[in-house]
Amino acid sequence: MKRILLALLFAALIFGPFYLSNYNLILVGRFLALALVAMGISFIWGMTGILSLGQGLFFGVGGYALAMHLKLVSTPQGELPDFMFYNGVEILPWWWQPFHNPIFAIAMVLFLPTLASAALGWLMFRRRITGVYVSLITQALVLAFATLLIGSQGVTSGTNGITDYKTFLGIDLRADGFQRNFYWFTLAIVVIGYVGIKLLLRSHFGKLLVAIRDGENRVRFLGYDPASYKIAAFAIGGLLAGVSGALFAVHVGTISPAMIGVIPSIEFVVWVALGGRESLGGAVLGIVAGNFIKDRVSSAYPDAWLYIMGIVFILIVLVMPKGVAGFVKPLLERFKRTKPVVISSQVSSITSTNKGHKEISTITSSIISSQVGGEQ
Amino acid sequence: MSLLKLENVTVSFDGFKALDDFNFSVDKGAIRVVIGPNGAGKSTMCDTVIGKVRPTLGKVIYNDKDISKTAEHAIVRQGICRKFQTPGVLENLSVEDNLAVGVRKRKGWWANVRSSLNKEESNKVTEILELVGLSDKRDMLASQLAHGEKQWLEIGMVVAADPELLLLDEPTAGMTAQETEKTARLISRLAGQHTVLVIDHDMSFVELLNAPVSVMHQGKLFKEGSIQDLRDDPEVIEIYLGRSKDKAHHA
Repeated sequence: MKRILLALLFAALIFGPFYLSNYNLILVGRFLALALVAMGISFIWGMTGILSLGQGLFFGVGGYALAMHLKLVSTPQGELPDFMFYNGVEILPWWWQPFHNPIFAIAMVLFLPTLASAALGWLMFRRRITGVYVSLITQALVLAFATLLIGSQGVTSGTNGITDYKTFLGIDLRADGFQRNFYWFTLAIVVIGYVGIKLLLRSHFGKLLVAIRDGENRVRFLGYDPASYKIAAFAIGGLLAGVSGALFAVHVGTISPAMIGVIPSIEFVVWVALGGRESLGGAVLGIVAGNFIKDRVSSAYPDAWLYIMGIVFILIVLVMPKGVAGFVKPLLERFKRTKPVVISSQVSSITSTNKGHKEISTITSSIISSQVGGEQ
Repeated sequence: MSLLKLENVTVSFDGFKALDDFNFSVDKGAIRVVIGPNGAGKSTMCDTVIGKVRPTLGKVIYNDKDISKTAEHAIVRQGICRKFQTPGVLENLSVEDNLAVGVRKRKGWWANVRSSLNKEESNKVTEILELVGLSDKRDMLASQLAHGEKQWLEIGMVVAADPELLLLDEPTAGMTAQETEKTARLISRLAGQHTVLVIDHDMSFVELLNAPVSVMHQGKLFKEGSIQDLRDDPEVIEIYLGRSKDKAHHA
């Protein structure tokens, strides 16, 4: 049943360019890019139990790494990127130099977010920092990162972000058909990411992540070092966020602090929570469908859309604490399995409800505080 | 020869001494039982051995090595594994996978990405399923098991790790009389391959084990002997009934 649904979804996505309008194709492409960061969150939160409210940091590092290259190749030879010129920067900073090379830039898209998340994971998990403290630290860091980008306008273009790309690897980014091809490219990366994570989850490593989520001490006292597992998982989440950010930057044509800060970081988590954090497919569906609906509702009701989304969010959390996927899964299982299994999966979803609510309230209070902070 | 030795171990929590200049040793290859009333320091002793709690003073010696500063997972790898008081099974894994987590020799994350259980390890899982009597429930989630079965599963996980020294902290907590009996038989079977240290306060269960017993009281070793002797010992009866303090006042 689940396979049929997945196959249908995949077919619908792969033929997207043939039936979607240009505007919708652009939107779905963007949201597919975001599906990667969502899968990463599902992996580290749903499977491993680490709630990061700062995935925007790694998303941003990946996005900026590629954007720096795109900006350089789109600037006439011998000239500085326009924003540097406006800000009185006279020579290209040394750390911008290697980004002339596309291979280097792509390597950095993969390497920097992974390294940053592994380093942060090392600092947190070695010291046995868990739960809400991880959420707070990651959120503080993403705020610091966005502030740093805004503050160093001369070398990062500040609030405006890095924009106005023309070519990549000799391909004209504005040509007809590029949007369509890049859509397929993004879809391919999403499929690779999906399959890769599924394989990881099926391995003994994947089972240990679930084991650590449910009983970190039990696993530790069977001779494992849970910190190394959590660092590895967190780094994989960071890598996915980085790739996601790079793809997103190309889809949107710009990357700026507003796209990677506290609010987008929380939004990623919210979409994953709504879709179902313990299901990769749920996370993807959550972020793609959620963003799509958000786009429609916000253009139809420009004044009321935030309230509408808020009410929908509250309703879903109340009715389906494990997200849409967590709600649908037992229903699907009822088709094929015997009764005891169905009963028990309902029991287990009830027992984990409390934890889910606690985490949701963390997210909600973060949203409120960041909104209030933004208005000051 | 002693396998495990606690030398003058003091563990204090904000001035309260859970273990007070505690000396204790376990010989290789036997069952050993530690009993004592609630708050005697039995679980703290276990915590100290496995590194969950560090001694304020004194040393924990295992196989002639001081392990009082060794990392927890490294202590396990040296051959000590503990079953906790409340069942610590991994709820969202199948019974079989719970044992797989215990049995797996390679503990690094990368090794476990690259490969899963080998033939020998999966045979061991089957063997232990048999031993703890959960063969017909191998595909069930651990959360679906009854309380007693969870206790057996966790004993199985700890046995699967193949430690030289098994620490069983109240393995019969919450069990029916029948289940307790079955557990006692299980532990007797384990004694052939492991040194087993059982912590409990249930006298009737300890009688079934037929092993040397140490009594703990107020963080100290109080008395040692056979369960028959200790059961009738007036001083042991007193600490179990909580009258020792009164007596001290009268004295």
